[in-house]
Amino acid sequence: MKTLADELFEEFREHSVSEFFRKNAAMLGYTGKVRSLTTVVHEGVTNSLDACEEAGILPEIKVEIKRVDEDPEHLKVAVEDNGPGIPEKYIPSVFGKMLAGTKLHRLLQQRGQQGIGISGAVMFAQITSGKPALVRTSTGDGKIVEMEVSINVDKNEGEVHSRRLMQGKWKGTRIELELKEVTYQRSRYSPFHYLKMTSIANPHAKIIFEEPDGTKTVFERVVKEVPPPPEPMPLYPKGLMADDLLVLCRNSRSRTVGGVLIGELSRMTKQKVEEVERLSGVRMDKKPQELTWEEAERIIRAFKQMKFMAPSASGLRPIGKEHIEKSLKQMYEPEFVAAVTREPKFYRGGIPFVVEVGMAYGGKAGREEGEGERMELLRFANRAPLIFDQGGCVITSALRDIDWGRYGLDPENSPLTIFVNLCSAYVPYTSAGKQSIAEEPEIYEELRFAVMDVAREVRSYLYRKTKQREREQRAGIFEKFLPIIAKKASSLAEEEPPDIKPVLKKVTGIELERGE
Amino acid sequence: MEVLKELGKGVLRELREGKPPKLKIPSRGTSNIVYDEEHGYYVLGPRYEIRSASSMAQVKKFAQTLCVAEFCKELVSAGKFATLREMYYTAEGWEPGPFKDQDESDLLVEDLEAMLGLKREDLALMPEEDGAAVFGDLTIREGDVTINALKAGRGGYTIPPTIDEVEFVKCKAKRVIAVETMGMYHRLVQEEAWKKFDALIVGLKGQAARATRRFLKRANEELGLPVLLFTDGDPFGFHIAMVVISGSAKLAYVNHELAVPKAKFIGVTATDIVEYDLPTDKLREIDIARLKQLQKDPRYGSKFWQEEIKKMLELGKKAEQQAFAKYGLEYVVKEYLPAKLKEVEGA
Repeated sequence: MKTLADELFEEFREHSVSEFFRKNAAMLGYTGKVRSLTTVVHEGVTNSLDACEEAGILPEIKVEIKRVDEDPEHLKVAVEDNGPGIPEKYIPSVFGKMLAGTKLHRLLQQRGQQGIGISGAVMFAQITSGKPALVRTSTGDGKIVEMEVSINVDKNEGEVHSRRLMQGKWKGTRIELELKEVTYQRSRYSPFHYLKMTSIANPHAKIIFEEPDGTKTVFERVVKEVPPPPEPMPLYPKGLMADDLLVLCRNSRSRTVGGVLIGELSRMTKQKVEEVERLSGVRMDKKPQELTWEEAERIIRAFKQMKFMAPSASGLRPIGKEHIEKSLKQMYEPEFVAAVTREPKFYRGGIPFVVEVGMAYGGKAGREEGEGERMELLRFANRAPLIFDQGGCVITSALRDIDWGRYGLDPENSPLTIFVNLCSAYVPYTSAGKQSIAEEPEIYEELRFAVMDVAREVRSYLYRKTKQREREQRAGIFEKFLPIIAKKASSLAEEEPPDIKPVLKKVTGIELERGE
Repeated sequence: MEVLKELGKGVLRELREGKPPKLKIPSRGTSNIVYDEEHGYYVLGPRYEIRSASSMAQVKKFAQTLCVAEFCKELVSAGKFATLREMYYTAEGWEPGPFKDQDESDLLVEDLEAMLGLKREDLALMPEEDGAAVFGDLTIREGDVTINALKAGRGGYTIPPTIDEVEFVKCKAKRVIAVETMGMYHRLVQEEAWKKFDALIVGLKGQAARATRRFLKRANEELGLPVLLFTDGDPFGFHIAMVVISGSAKLAYVNHELAVPKAKFIGVTATDIVEYDLPTDKLREIDIARLKQLQKDPRYGSKFWQEEIKKMLELGKKAEQQAFAKYGLEYVVKEYLPAKLKEVEGA
């Protein structure tokens, strides 16, 4: 006989995952009809890019958005890549299980970080349209698997609805999701803009986009090198918290706490371990599994008093100055482009990051707004576009505090596109929606320096341009009037007109030196 | 036109030497206009503006200046005259492009006048308006036509803008009496004042035109005739006389060709108003302001003028030259002018 409590408990369990998702949907980017659609595209594209990169493949990604029926808010999104494919047995958990993935517990600079991405998109599809995801994938072994997968919200597990095996020479993954309560439009927040930005930050990727009305846009590949895959970075002692240390100890195969420290943290040596023991009073030959919370705290406190070599930033993979410049050139056909990739810096005592800034001036750069042009800001974190929550982002505030006038620029009225990418294994987002970066003082400062570096180049370009224009104007004026002067003078004097080339050369020169 | 030829040669010389040519143009700004005590008229000071073909701001103007010079040279060699307005329209077709307005082209003419030390009449450019009317025993020749200024009708001989082309053939008159209004001119003609005073009667028609001033200067210098100026007894009348005598500040660069420093003002003076007990009008505010301006003007620096201005201000009254009609139409010829002539010439 079931008690009332049993019944309630069952009810409660059955709704738990979907309730969790619904309650946190906003946090995860599923809020509003436009943004939800962009988030789905983002999750698909991010997965594809990360997969290709890890496999060393130049990505070619197709994104299609199609109407399903008369309902304009009922759309089908397909994302297809030429990546390594997914072995069949992993398909259900990749797409059907939340908080699963290859990235957890690793300090890696990648676009996705939390293992919620693509399964979140599947979940969103499921709760708006009731349809499972259609996945087609092949690892290139001649077999193509097609599966319909959904999330069993009860068990948080992938559920396979159908499976089809085909023969074919193809490698890659395609996922199709049917969504409702989404709107397609071409605004700043749309999938179109998102893909355009993705293309800029990933010049090695080719992205083909088909919109519901059939319009096809190809964002071409600009560079032919796959970025090297990011390396896992050992944790830096100063950035660590007690809980992190306990997790490390629990999962480690080392037999002593000292062994865990040397094995899992960067910049740890035997001497340093001895110093930790001296300062914390915690025995370093203790079994890692027996470390208590209180001891972990003492070790962390010891770290704070110690001196370590600066942390390594070798695992960071910035896009690079040349690639940013090429990319901006391709996208905006600007008059001038400049970029900088700064040296790695650290925030919160040990988390490495790199700031990259690029600017495109003229051509198609700048956001068109009414009749005038305005600066356009493109924010990225680890090459992934940040298009929402611009106001609360440290990139926005760092740029806002720049005295643009000093660089001959007017934020309200300059044909300028500013590209900003923050690379870090741990990007301090303000929320799980991952659309804006927190105001860390070191990041703020570094952003300002990077922007000013590039703005200086823009300023000197503008200066050269003004000079050049003036020079041409001058030359034009003299070329027009000096011959008249010579002609009239010879007519007055009743003499042959002289050769005016030397004077012409001289006056255009004189005027330049004077500069006025 | 040697001067214009030299101008061209100078420019060519610099061009051949590979130097950007320059023009030295006397500055006509107010700070460069000075009163020449010795000659009694305004002249330009020593400051120059350099118009350089190496300056972006000036090269167009430089070219236009030479275009004006060439235009003048063609006029002179063809023996023709053109008005400033005609030149302005002609310039529509010039290579540097048309002028914005006539002021712009007029200024270039002034530049040339100042730079070359010539007046525009020498450059075959003439003012729009005709000069004054002359009545008296003067024979002149304009081209093929010989005219006696007694036989040109009551309106007299009209001084043309091209007065410098006119030849004075014969003159029996011994003086020139120039009057402000045509009313007085006709009075003097009717009363045969020209005969009575052996005079050429000139009706200025208000502020004297350039041609009239040239005529008066030539009559004074070529024919050796004293020039007597008879205007209304008010600040504007005073100034009509003074511009004939001392020239204007605006035309400082050609005053040596226009001013008649030996010309004499005979009235109506403030003293006349009192002595002849003339019918008067009250000074208006604008008259008082003008009189106060004149008081400070270096051209009115003499004791005579200072006293007259002061007296008029004290009187607070002014009188027109035709006010003598109070004593009969002939009075001005029978009584006033003989007395004045005696005053300025007799003693």
